[in-house]
Amino acid sequence: MGGFGIGSRNSAVVPSANVPIAAPPEVLKLPPREWVKANLFSSPFNSVLTLLTTVVLLAIFRGFLAFVFDPVRQWDSTATNLQLFMTRAYPDDQYIRIWFCVAVILILTGVSMAVWRAGSTMPVAAIGHKLLGTGALLVLLALLAPFSASATIQWLVAALAVAATGEVLRRSPGKGEDERTVSTLTVLVIALAGLVASLWVVPYGHHTYIANRVPRVLAEPGTVALTTKLPWTVMLLIVVTAYFAGRLMRDRLPANPIRATLMVLWLLAPPVLVYLVLRDPDFDIGHVVGTDLPIFLAYATGGAALLSWLTRPSTGEAGRIIAVLILLVGFCTFLTPMRMVVRIDMLMLAVFALAAPTFAGGPRARKRYAVGWLGVLGVASWLITSINTPSTVEVPGGFFIGGLSITLMVAVFTILFSFPLGIGLALARTSSMPIFRHLSTGFIEIVRGVPLITILIFFSIMVPLFLPTGMHLDEVTAVIIGYVLFSSAYLAENVRGGLQSVTRGQHEAADAVGMTTAQKTVFIVLPQALRVSIPPLVGHCIGVFKETSLLAIIGVFDLLYIARIVIPGQTEFMGSARENLLFVSVIYWIFAYQLSKASQRLERRTGLGER
Amino acid sequence: MTTSDNTSSSESPGSSAPSTLVAASARTPLWRDVVVLKWVTQVFLLAVVLSAMWFLASQAGDNLRARNINTDFDFLERPVDIQLGEGIDTHPDTGGRALWAAMVNTLRLSVAGIIFATVLGVIVGLARLSDNWLVRRIASGWVEMLRNIPLLVQMIVYYSTMTAALPRLGLDAGPINGWLHVSNKGISMPRVHIADGFYQWAVVVLIGAVAAHFVRRHRQRIQDETGANASPILWALGTVALFGLVGLVVHPAFFWLGAVFGAIADLLDSLPNAVPQLLLSAIAVGFATTWISRFVSDHRSARGHLSLTDDDWFRIAFTALVSLVLVYVAVRWTGLSSWILNSGRDLFGVLEAKFDVDGAARPFDAMRPDIVQKAKFPNYGKNGLTMSIGFASVFFAVVFYTSAFIGENVRGGILAVSKGQTEAAKAVGLGRGQILRHVVLPQALRVILPPTGNQYLNLVKNTSLAVAVGMSDIVQVGTTVFNQTGRTLPVVAIWMLFYLSCSLTISVVVNWFNVRMQLVER
Repeated sequence: MGGFGIGSRNSAVVPSANVPIAAPPEVLKLPPREWVKANLFSSPFNSVLTLLTTVVLLAIFRGFLAFVFDPVRQWDSTATNLQLFMTRAYPDDQYIRIWFCVAVILILTGVSMAVWRAGSTMPVAAIGHKLLGTGALLVLLALLAPFSASATIQWLVAALAVAATGEVLRRSPGKGEDERTVSTLTVLVIALAGLVASLWVVPYGHHTYIANRVPRVLAEPGTVALTTKLPWTVMLLIVVTAYFAGRLMRDRLPANPIRATLMVLWLLAPPVLVYLVLRDPDFDIGHVVGTDLPIFLAYATGGAALLSWLTRPSTGEAGRIIAVLILLVGFCTFLTPMRMVVRIDMLMLAVFALAAPTFAGGPRARKRYAVGWLGVLGVASWLITSINTPSTVEVPGGFFIGGLSITLMVAVFTILFSFPLGIGLALARTSSMPIFRHLSTGFIEIVRGVPLITILIFFSIMVPLFLPTGMHLDEVTAVIIGYVLFSSAYLAENVRGGLQSVTRGQHEAADAVGMTTAQKTVFIVLPQALRVSIPPLVGHCIGVFKETSLLAIIGVFDLLYIARIVIPGQTEFMGSARENLLFVSVIYWIFAYQLSKASQRLERRTGLGER
Repeated sequence: MTTSDNTSSSESPGSSAPSTLVAASARTPLWRDVVVLKWVTQVFLLAVVLSAMWFLASQAGDNLRARNINTDFDFLERPVDIQLGEGIDTHPDTGGRALWAAMVNTLRLSVAGIIFATVLGVIVGLARLSDNWLVRRIASGWVEMLRNIPLLVQMIVYYSTMTAALPRLGLDAGPINGWLHVSNKGISMPRVHIADGFYQWAVVVLIGAVAAHFVRRHRQRIQDETGANASPILWALGTVALFGLVGLVVHPAFFWLGAVFGAIADLLDSLPNAVPQLLLSAIAVGFATTWISRFVSDHRSARGHLSLTDDDWFRIAFTALVSLVLVYVAVRWTGLSSWILNSGRDLFGVLEAKFDVDGAARPFDAMRPDIVQKAKFPNYGKNGLTMSIGFASVFFAVVFYTSAFIGENVRGGILAVSKGQTEAAKAVGLGRGQILRHVVLPQALRVILPPTGNQYLNLVKNTSLAVAVGMSDIVQVGTTVFNQTGRTLPVVAIWMLFYLSCSLTISVVVNWFNVRMQLVER
């Protein structure tokens, strides 16, 4: 229904009863002259409106071009500081770690795209149409921008070349059924390959910023430095290879295990990449072997044995009593001095023990549950150990990473942690138990009534005061905790919408087959509720990504802070804030726009929003 | 248990006693009773949450004491060294005054932002549905561009663009010297402000509003009876305007209200602490008893038979317990009662002072902007209505950003009105404007209003980003205050209270409209 409003005056085709519902609405192709008359000059009012908006639009476009192509602009401040924008002061000799992370994510992306059959086909003519539009825009740009005569001619030639290519593609033979189409992924790869190839050919110039006592800028003419163009070429090759490997896997192997593995890998990727690769904990082997490993092994063996007994359907009452006892013991550990790991592990075990009856079943189910415990325990223990271990990566000043990396890192971790919390809050808010409901409602409403920035300021200043003596949290972690709490309240509201859309019949049917409340929630209600709330959840994720920019206010070196404070503070680039802010806006826009487009595609593909 | 349930439901109500007995004798033991378990879990969770909060609070208390940081509200009355960029008081003498001036700034920004964002949002939404291709594309470009760039980035872009592109302020600043000045120190224009007689005039307008209500009802009745257009809303507005005009002359007649407020202030001053204590306790107990009695009467069958499950008993007991705890708090915490009395006295004392004015005082005054040069550089004087660059950038950023979201709501709402409605209206012979006003908009508003209310809430909260461009809103001034006095917790508490009450007000207003919209339907 989304396209209903656009061009509705053309789509006056009334679907009769025997037309299949899925048929796309037929858009009548008008010849250009009539199209212009119908869409721009249909009435005197419309004509005036068209002329007026055209004039205003051209004036704005011209002003924008005058800003961008003004010789005063210091665009080399952006080019020189690209590395700063991406990772801030991450040391050059360790940079291979960054590339490794990018490669892992690209491999996962490539394989996932193949396995989930991402991308669609588009007609060649449509690409031609788009290129033609781009060409027209470039012609306009060449004419309006404050160029010298020769530069104008160069731009015009380039624009006409683009437009000509578009026109050739547009007139490519084949109409109707045997229309020539091309996969969007191919188009994407060709575009990226062109971009990467241009790094080898076009003399963009080297740009290096040397932050010594007297900062220096190295901007030499020539092609891009090898340390930039080689990795990007490798990355392109990697993602293409990964895609074809993924296609092989998809054709040879059963679908579900691959998908499950990929999901787990995607979930594990953020902590592993951040805490193993980027931060590189300097493990004190003696301590790890002497303290951390025994604790892990004790919980692993004891917990697995206990859980596999608790998940036996015949355990009954005793299991619940034991689970509650473990919970009590977990809370009692806070009364005596003890390692934090022991307490956290005990509480995790208590949660698993309490949930055990829900997953009770045959030997396979029990084994799976115990393995799940081992996995969660392993990841948690390893994370706790590596967070508490100093890093070998020496980064000047504060947090180990910055720029776009910290923006993405904070967004990903916030979304990752606020999901379970938000779902829990939503379940509590819709629960029939009044105390749960009121606590959760109170939390959600208070958090939603307060702006994010006050929460971030509060957490960045106050968290050290709330911690027991001896515990230490760096500012970014404290802020992520605050952000997780904030985001989970909004997420809970989105999930609640989904929970309310699950019909009564589903609950009653689950009751009728004898499911417990927990089983009903986990296996019947939540899957349906989450599916319905995918669109608002994606919207929420975009919001979380955009609002990481607030970190700049409390002085975290994110994308915005670097553009606004750091680069204009460099002696060479005084007053270059606007150029860099424009660049940062474009980066944010690309990410957010692509996410929202992807969400719309997902919505269409899963048939959500259609009756 | 299931068998006994089945039999009791199939039998007549008269013979249900024996089956209940059977059920009671086969009652599940406590540790397997789901209801008991649920309540144990809930109370346990409550205890965990409370003890965790207590643990954190005591930790914070220890740490604060160790660092010599206080958490009292004394700073509200102590002098601070803060300069605000704009607002009712740019050199406040106490912390409380500074926060108050900052609050007014935030409120100004929010109210102006809501009004302009609504207007612009409706325009954007209608433009997205225009039959002019160019207008449609521009509107969707506007929405896609603004929605996908973080608000803070937009705000900072506007700020740095305006500070760089606008001219320096000189004594002969333009564009209309003496009336409208635009420079990189802000925009200054003539100001209409309330004067001493305003509060007396406001009483007249209030009476006018009450009169307008009756006029509107009367005109509505005429319209309903005759079917002719009696324009009740116009009449009501006219009545208010009439009272406002007359009030400009007759407002000194209400000077005696000052004495009334003074008497109330004296009364509050003389009341003992026990009165608010009793009042609070009575409210707590009253709420609990009302809730319980309504709960019980809801669970009573038509024949007066009361059937309460264990769960219901737990609910009743819990409510009673909570009310008792509240009574205990009200009685033991005498500070709360004296605070209520004192602030009530202060409030009415202030009101008394507002009415204690010279009879000839005008309700309004107007001034033209001025430029003064005290030191090396000229600056805006106090006469005009000045919008600093910080204010302007926050204002434009929140208005543009929110207009994109409201535009989408408007578009969705209008699309949600089925085509048949428009066609039917056309068939009856209504014109385009009439269709929009009487058929499409009333139905679309029902869809538009709830998400737009959310956008208003977001807008108010988003004004807090003003701290990034140095505009003196409550967050920026609060940060300065706690940096100077070290009272972080109290300032954060004030922030939360302020924003929560703003959110609450907006949601109450929006809900009120929403309910009215829904009622129109049937």
